[in-house]
Amino acid sequence: MSASVLERPATRLACTHCGDECPPEPLLLDEQPFCCAGCRTVYELLAAHNLCTYYALDERPGLKVQAVELPGRFDYLDEESVQAQLLSFRSPERARLTLHIPQLHCTSCIWLLEQLGRLDAGIVEARVQFLRKEITLSYRPDQTSLKAVVQLLASVGYEPQITLAELGAQPHRASRTLYYQLGLAAFAFGNVMLLALPDYFSWVEELQAGFGRFFGVLSLALALPVLLVSARPFWHSAWLGVRQRYINLDFPITLGLFSLFGVSTWEVLRGTGPGYFDSFTGLIFFMLIGKWVQQRTYDALRFDRDFTSYFPVAVTRLLPEGGTRSVSVKELRAGHRIRVRHQEVVPADAVLLRGAGQIDYAFVSGESTPVARASGELVYAGGRQLGEAIELEVVREVSQGYLTQLWNNPAFAKTDAAATLETYANRVGRYFVAVTLVLALGTLLYWGPRDPALMWQAFTSVLVIACPCALSLASPFALGAALRVLGRHQLYLKNGTVVETLARADTLVFDKTGTLTDAGQAEVQYHGRPLTAAEQALVATAAAQSTHPLSQRLAREATGPAVALHTCREVAGQGVAAAAADTAATVRLGAAAFCGFAPTDLAAAAPTPTSGAAHSAAADVPSQAAAAVPAAAGEAPAPFAAAGAVAAPETRVYVALNDEPAGYYSFHNVYRPAVPALLAGLAGLAGRYRLAVLSGDTEAERPRLRALLGERAELRFRQSPADKLAYIAAERARGHTVVMVGDGLNDAGALRAADAGVALTDTLTNFSPACDAILDARELGRLATLLAFARASLRVVLLTFGLSFCYNGFGLALAVQGRFTPIVSAILMPISSLSVMLVATLLVRRAARRLAL
Amino acid sequence: MTIIFLLIGISLTVALTFLGAFLWAVRSGQYDDAYTPAVRMLFEDEPAARPAGHDINQPRP
Repeated sequence: MSASVLERPATRLACTHCGDECPPEPLLLDEQPFCCAGCRTVYELLAAHNLCTYYALDERPGLKVQAVELPGRFDYLDEESVQAQLLSFRSPERARLTLHIPQLHCTSCIWLLEQLGRLDAGIVEARVQFLRKEITLSYRPDQTSLKAVVQLLASVGYEPQITLAELGAQPHRASRTLYYQLGLAAFAFGNVMLLALPDYFSWVEELQAGFGRFFGVLSLALALPVLLVSARPFWHSAWLGVRQRYINLDFPITLGLFSLFGVSTWEVLRGTGPGYFDSFTGLIFFMLIGKWVQQRTYDALRFDRDFTSYFPVAVTRLLPEGGTRSVSVKELRAGHRIRVRHQEVVPADAVLLRGAGQIDYAFVSGESTPVARASGELVYAGGRQLGEAIELEVVREVSQGYLTQLWNNPAFAKTDAAATLETYANRVGRYFVAVTLVLALGTLLYWGPRDPALMWQAFTSVLVIACPCALSLASPFALGAALRVLGRHQLYLKNGTVVETLARADTLVFDKTGTLTDAGQAEVQYHGRPLTAAEQALVATAAAQSTHPLSQRLAREATGPAVALHTCREVAGQGVAAAAADTAATVRLGAAAFCGFAPTDLAAAAPTPTSGAAHSAAADVPSQAAAAVPAAAGEAPAPFAAAGAVAAPETRVYVALNDEPAGYYSFHNVYRPAVPALLAGLAGLAGRYRLAVLSGDTEAERPRLRALLGERAELRFRQSPADKLAYIAAERARGHTVVMVGDGLNDAGALRAADAGVALTDTLTNFSPACDAILDARELGRLATLLAFARASLRVVLLTFGLSFCYNGFGLALAVQGRFTPIVSAILMPISSLSVMLVATLLVRRAARRLAL
Repeated sequence: MTIIFLLIGISLTVALTFLGAFLWAVRSGQYDDAYTPAVRMLFEDEPAARPAGHDINQPRP
């Protein structure tokens, strides 16, 4: 074939719907080009309902619609038990529910979803909550059904995520408590300041003499609700800490606040002075702002997901008396038979009874090459079936599965004990309490014999001024600013304390598959007799006909013009056979046996064992069947390690042309392009970090990893999810601060056990297991810089601690002399609070600029 | 100077009204989503014209 034919067309059109590049001959409708039938269907639907504003609001807002229209896919939504759990309100005329839609991404999405009523008259109202990627729908059950609504959403490309975790969960409520507390504190602060004004100026002394007492009582009345409601986060946390015999930073704050309030009340009721109510309400107001800054996290990201967020709600159960029924996954028992269709997730460990299993464990292990399973073999929960529908018999209930058992580990039982978290702030708080009490007692002893009247004033002043309010503002503002800088670089942290943990880390542990390697990419190599250009084109065309991931990858790799095919036939679990229309050449792609490779050829051509993960049937790899059935529930071998093991050395697709074996394509995992940059960055830190890689695969990659990571790195292979967890726990027990970087459910235990678990993800809206931080995979190369920034932020926190100590020291110097008055307090308090906020924020920004973030 | 009592009473009433308004706004969910309403406000009701197909590489002839 001549070179001119191989040239790409000079112009390519962008699909009107999704913006992807159209094929050379795009589908046309209304003179608009479309890349696929799915996109055109959505356009047709929207055009018919006059909803084309969708395309005007944002540039090519659509999402490629995967053509997985399966009959009965949403049937479970008709189930009474499922509806009862999903709907937040229902009556015969009206039902309401909130759905999570991960695909929401632009203005057009909001517009279209809020116009859903024009596509289905039964939908009364649709409101989008963009940042949380949620839609709240009200519909009339007498005109439409839940199933119809969800199907409609899926048909326009916005399929909601309905998983086990969403069942029984209340719709997400934003916490409004802080707003109430903040509003009340602001109100009281403003009014108390107004009433305290006469104190500050000598020319209104007359006013003060006449109304001082009235003003004082009024201030007391305004400050009391602030103490009870607005200051609750501080005294509550201090109380929680004390109950667990732990002094946190909130303890001295509470001590100071209560002394401040007590002294003021005493003064007002005795009529001896105006009290410090303005300082009191002001402090609480500023500290609540600190809390508010710290609380602003990422609504759309979820850091607490476990396997239930990934498992389906319902599954098709084959009843013993015949027929099928949609049942909730939670009701599945051992012995039940289920049917799992294309793209559905196997919800429980089960034995395959019928059909060719092609199980994709991408979410579990990060390995995207599907694993072949034949009847009689065990399929572990969490895999996604590709291809034909399969029938399975459940061996273990969902909660007892190989993978889900991980969640019974005590590591998952620990709750976030913020009150006793050992942060710098809390450690400083403890010393603060000790110093304050010593100073206060010293003042008492010093003034006692000399001036009993001054004694109590000085004593309470010390307690009041020692309130580390500026200190408590330092860390929320510094860490909050750091959080935003890191967020700009796609590292999303659960909260500010994670910055501290990242800064203190001395051990970095990586998962291999899906973390260091890129699951979506593979190096394709051809072995065998050379192919002509025409043959390559035929192979590419045939591969493009199959939805199998390996075929798709091959189609991307092998270039050439499309060849008109005479016939094309796909045998599930075996391969694709096609014949060209003009040259009568035939091609077979797939398993060795399917392509006519005899076992002897295999031995000659392939010294390493053939992969079971390609199109091959189980007969090719007898050892795999043996490995797949575990001996006992508790002592199950690592199935994902095994799955990875067979896929790791080599995954192959065989090629036969004109029924003559020609050769095979081999697929290798490739390391992410960011890995060298990451390791170079870490190496530049002069051995600050100990590195380790935990892999579920075999040792095949050891030399390559050793070369990449250096001599001192710890490399462990054939690690089950529980092994990874145990390794991390052991490292922590030896006193190391461990950061685990992983993806997939099999790292969930390790992520949870680590001091900071960082989940790596290619698309942020996709599933990521429970973790402390989520990192966009494209930013992996900058991890070393981000860690350096975390350390710089921590230095800023310590610096601002120093600044606030200066204020405290100055106040204390006045207080021990008995010269601390309401006016000094009223001046010192806002200056110290505001300057600490400002300095913390600015210094963190400067640190970010220095590291070019 | 007893007028001060009245003035302070009035100022407190006004301030309490604002506090009440704020609490009501939080309660009715106006602080739950600070992003979507800002976008929603800009939508117009009339349907737009159909979009034109564009070329990725160069302007259409």
